[in-house]
Amino acid sequence: MISSRARPRSPVHEALRWLGYGVVVALLVVAPYLLSGQPRWITVLTLANFFAVFAMSWDILSGYTGQLSFGHSFFIAAAGYTSALLNLYMGWPIWLTIPLGVVAAVATGLLVAIPALRLRGPYFALVTLVLPIVANKLVLIFSEFTGGELGKYGLAPLSSAPSFLAYQRAKYFYSLGLMVAVAAGLILIARSKVGKIFEAIRESEEAVEAAGINTAKYKILAFIISSFVAGLGGAFYVHYWENLIPSTVLSLTLSIELIVAAVVGGMGTITGPIVGAYFLVAGEEWIKGLARSSPSLAFLSKWDVMIFLVLLILLIFFARRGLLPSLRELAKGLLPLPWPRPRTPGPGRPEPGGTGTGGRG
Amino acid sequence: MMEGTGRSEPILKLEELRKSFGGLVAVNRLSFEVEEGEILGFIGPNGAGKTTVLSCIMGALRPDSGRIIFRGREITGWRTYRIVQEGIARAFQLSRYLRHKTVYENIELSTISNGLFERDDRRERERVVLEVAELVGLTEELWKLPPSLPHASLRRLELAKAIATDPLLLLLDEPFAGLSPKEVEQLSGVIRQLREEGKTIVLVDHNMRGVMRLVDRVVVISFGEKLAEGSPREVVADPRVQEAYLAGGGLDRDEPGQEGDNTGSMR
Repeated sequence: MISSRARPRSPVHEALRWLGYGVVVALLVVAPYLLSGQPRWITVLTLANFFAVFAMSWDILSGYTGQLSFGHSFFIAAAGYTSALLNLYMGWPIWLTIPLGVVAAVATGLLVAIPALRLRGPYFALVTLVLPIVANKLVLIFSEFTGGELGKYGLAPLSSAPSFLAYQRAKYFYSLGLMVAVAAGLILIARSKVGKIFEAIRESEEAVEAAGINTAKYKILAFIISSFVAGLGGAFYVHYWENLIPSTVLSLTLSIELIVAAVVGGMGTITGPIVGAYFLVAGEEWIKGLARSSPSLAFLSKWDVMIFLVLLILLIFFARRGLLPSLRELAKGLLPLPWPRPRTPGPGRPEPGGTGTGGRG
Repeated sequence: MMEGTGRSEPILKLEELRKSFGGLVAVNRLSFEVEEGEILGFIGPNGAGKTTVLSCIMGALRPDSGRIIFRGREITGWRTYRIVQEGIARAFQLSRYLRHKTVYENIELSTISNGLFERDDRRERERVVLEVAELVGLTEELWKLPPSLPHASLRRLELAKAIATDPLLLLLDEPFAGLSPKEVEQLSGVIRQLREEGKTIVLVDHNMRGVMRLVDRVVVISFGEKLAEGSPREVVADPRVQEAYLAGGGLDRDEPGQEGDNTGSMR
């Protein structure tokens, strides 16, 4: 058991951590230039970035405060539809419609947050599940206006670069910039006292109230932040595709997939969902590539969903904390470096074994 | 020697407090006062309604009727966090901690301010946590996780979390439960020290003898009603009190701080 008086995170390790992030970002920045021979992969990474934004938005709410949202596409679509329709019908430019889309997403966030205060556990989860389904029906009912199932085309693009490669790269950098900005913002929030309160709420609201903290306020704040980020992603997303289709932004599948990405990557960590999103999007593309490469592997294109679901189940059994935390643990075990003392375990983790160096500080 | 005897206004006043659960009346028109700076024993057999009263004071339960007045302001029906901010803190009978956070972080939570845009002073929080840990004797265990701690340490953690909110009034719900005589003595020392620092303390217990030397005054309740009030000596001699305790035998136990019979009544 850890008995040293050392603080959990020393400045040196903090600096190394941010250095690590910097290296990853640098790699992602040069990626499109390295991949210019395989434009498909630039698209894949772009999609992965958007997915990471969605997964992170879910994590700051459900991973951190434990308020499980099963219909996160509701917020994504609120922003997407608002931005798209304002752009199409009013002709407003995207630098105006996107922020308005975010406002709409936050409004829906509050719409869910306030009744959520009164609902516990499964009832709340049910409400979140039902909302995007209701929204979907509304889209169909007002299909004259919304474009219905087939959607609307001809949205203003993110970039008007002349060549296809430049255009593709520009879209990639928009997605990367968005992903990095969101990641940085959410990591700072998660590390601040707000993050501590969020995590404490997940464990015991009673303990938080007894500490003199207004749990209702912070639960609502989590919704605001989460829907803001989801909306930001959603508004950019529809202009990335330049079309507005419900199955892209409002589907149940999207809601579930972003949860899978966050959980697989490691919920309650912000960085975990990024890994999860990349893993899922790139992984799916890789399997499709395999299926195309040889006729004997063609069956894989039908089995990719199955493969991921099986993987998810295996992960739950063997690496419940998710890929990122588990890989970290593995790395610590293999490399004899002076790793920082174990941080407090996240959700779903059994108690740590004796990994401290022993002795009194 | 009691402190604050010059003040006329009690720090906490309960007026005709009443709380029932369905058809069961847990607290029946209970009234009493707590003087500032005293250590008050709130005693009663198991199931008498003591914890229910604490929960009403702390805003965890809403009383059916009656008033709770703290430092001249009525706090009946307030949300718990507001009451804590006003200056009342409770140490629960059954330790409620964050399982996946260290002792340090558990105590730290109590020092985090509610305001969103208030300056977050980590150094100040750290100072408070270390100070409180030192006071209760948890310094060596700050980086451990609560589930690995022995029972006595968990009681200390519970107390530390309450103290770290910087309260004026501390409600301690059965703080000596399950402690050895030595541990009881240690904890009593901490409680006395808290009083020296100007805090008022209400000690809830079912065992009169265990707290007799510690408290200035006693209020005894049974079946949700006040039975007696006065100095420990007076109350022990009261025949009504003795009769109420006959079933549980709490008053006449030899060893202080033992768990009483679990009569399993409403709580």
